[in-house]
Amino acid sequence: MYTAWTTKHKPKTVAEVVGNSEAISTLEKWLRSWERGIPRQQAAFLHGPPGVGKTVALEALARKLVMELIEKNASDYRTQEKISQFAGLASQYRGFFGKKRIILLDEMDGVYGNVDRGAIPAITKIIKNTRCPIILIANDFWDKKFVSFRDKKKYLIIEFKKPPASQVLKHLARICAEEDIFAEEEALKFIAQRSEGDVRSAVNDLQALAQGKKKLTYDDVSWLAYRDRKDVIFSVMRLVLYGKTCETAKQAVDLADVDLDMLFEWIYENTPHHFNVPSELAKAMEALATADLYRARIRKTNNWKLMRYAIDFMTAGVAMARDKSKPSGWVPFRFPQRIKTLSTSRAERGMKAEIGKKIKRRMHVSVAQAQKDVLPYMKVIFESNLQMAAGLTKWLCFDEEEVNYIAGGKRQAKAILKVMN
Amino acid sequence: MSFEMWAEKYRPKSLSQMVNQKDIVERLESFAKSRNVPHCIFAGPPGTGKTTAALCLAHDLYGEVYRENLMELNASDERGINVVRETVKTFARIRTLGEIPFKILILDEADNMTGDAQQALRRTMERYTETCRFILIANYSGKIIEPIQSRCAPFRFTYLPREEQDVHLKYIAENEKVDLAKDGLDAIYVVCGGDLRRSINSLQAAASLGKPITSEIVYSVVGRANPADVHAMIKIAMDSNFIEARKRLREMILKYGVAGSDIIKQIHGELFRLDIPENWKVKLAEIVGDVDFRLAEGADEEVQLSALLARLAEAGYELKGG
Repeated sequence: MYTAWTTKHKPKTVAEVVGNSEAISTLEKWLRSWERGIPRQQAAFLHGPPGVGKTVALEALARKLVMELIEKNASDYRTQEKISQFAGLASQYRGFFGKKRIILLDEMDGVYGNVDRGAIPAITKIIKNTRCPIILIANDFWDKKFVSFRDKKKYLIIEFKKPPASQVLKHLARICAEEDIFAEEEALKFIAQRSEGDVRSAVNDLQALAQGKKKLTYDDVSWLAYRDRKDVIFSVMRLVLYGKTCETAKQAVDLADVDLDMLFEWIYENTPHHFNVPSELAKAMEALATADLYRARIRKTNNWKLMRYAIDFMTAGVAMARDKSKPSGWVPFRFPQRIKTLSTSRAERGMKAEIGKKIKRRMHVSVAQAQKDVLPYMKVIFESNLQMAAGLTKWLCFDEEEVNYIAGGKRQAKAILKVMN
Repeated sequence: MSFEMWAEKYRPKSLSQMVNQKDIVERLESFAKSRNVPHCIFAGPPGTGKTTAALCLAHDLYGEVYRENLMELNASDERGINVVRETVKTFARIRTLGEIPFKILILDEADNMTGDAQQALRRTMERYTETCRFILIANYSGKIIEPIQSRCAPFRFTYLPREEQDVHLKYIAENEKVDLAKDGLDAIYVVCGGDLRRSINSLQAAASLGKPITSEIVYSVVGRANPADVHAMIKIAMDSNFIEARKRLREMILKYGVAGSDIIKQIHGELFRLDIPENWKVKLAEIVGDVDFRLAEGADEEVQLSALLARLAEAGYELKGG
């Protein structure tokens, strides 16, 4: 039977946890403080990159302090009702067996801000009234949606850092000893270094390379490619774009460590580059359009059950569009370009609206018309004729930034403003 | 040194200066003479003088102080009918000092208002008829609800005929001391087709290059000014270059802020002019309609439109016998 070594060799005691000893003792002190009544900080927020042992450390601590750890995943607090279910848990300090409780909300990254509008406020409310410690875990504490947790008076914020390679190495050596594998130190060092502090991935690598062997040499591991974190999304993309069955393609969703909207963007960006038969590309794009339609319906009706259809179309729908299509040579996967463009153009849209308003004031047109029918011509003028541009700047009271934008560059804008004065 | 946009500088001030829409102008002049104006609807395509006619009418009614008795609102800029109603109330409540007992409110792009908003507007119009006359401006009068239409005098504006536009453009060119070549004038008409505002803007942009205005100059200026070139995007897609077509689409939406609904409207218009078998046009129209419907449901503009572009790429490929 296959057991993941990450589970089988999970640290049982606090001492076995790799690195972050300071963070762990802070957390322990805080958990112990509950013995003396409810502290001011009623929740702790553990954050740090994946695989550095946030959950593992907490589990080990709970065991040490003989506390019952009640774990909830993001999917459990997606809706208001589900949240109120565990609100009940939080109202009692002890569980049925008299054990003291810790409530863990893991994978908070999965609660996405815009969609689960009610989730974060509901969670903060439960924390306010809780009678037992609540622990939140996420990778990216600085995400906008967590802004309400940044108050250090109310929340204990603990950062978990990537442990040094030497400590990862020790952990790997312990596993090898337990598995009765003789491993060259060089080999383990190599794995530890490549993991960049992600203990989980190091253990997974070790298992892939060493399971079933008696001996692990440096040569066995040296081919192991640099494990870039991007690899995850790349293998996900391979499943979606080249999966042979619906099932393989759909697996992508479980594998991906980005949220579904982001996954959609990745697939949408890359699909056209991997289909060369137009009819098959049309089918794939149609599948994405259908998935998008479901997303729109979910936004509108809040009916999350529809998400499974969106997933079907964005993964299996795309994969099954392929028949004869082959990419011409090796095509790299690219980051969704329109996310980049979107953030830069947001500022630009604000600027255009201001300019539009100024034109509207003078020219009896709507802002939209000003942007569509007047501004483009004005841009040509500003790029070609300093005199005329200077006159128009005065007439419409544009400020420097607006002239910059219309003239398409600071240099030209400066020249225009010089003529004006 | 003073410069304005020429479209504004050469906008007629009085009805007597208006070069076109003779029949309409005559009727409006009779309103001005009798010092009474009914509620009106000015309908017609862009750049045909609707707003100008309304402004001229107000000028001829009230004289130089006409601005005090006139309010301009744009339905597409105001958030909701309540803003319109409140603005109208405050504006119409105070009587004018002059001999004419009513003010004039110009409501531009009235066809952009929802049915409900129009119903509310209708009540406002009735309530303040004594003190305020409405001139509703729209591209399509059909989008104005029946009860409002029946309370308004309708005026249908049409594209300027070629000769009238030429007279106007030549006059401006002469006044601005710009060398406007015959083929430049032709080009402006080809591109702007009787939309005087666009024609004048094109003329001014072309003049800003400081060279005699030839067709070549006009086309280059218009090309620079219209990155939202749906026609070019369709051609690229039909050439089976989907990736480039999607890039253009993305620019239109994100960089130039063109609305997806506008793009789909243009694609629909272009579709029937494409050089493809007739039965294909119907096939593609069905997809276009589908996309339009999905956009109305709140789907992502780029995703939906690019699915359509992929279909065009497929069609182009098959037609070439691929």
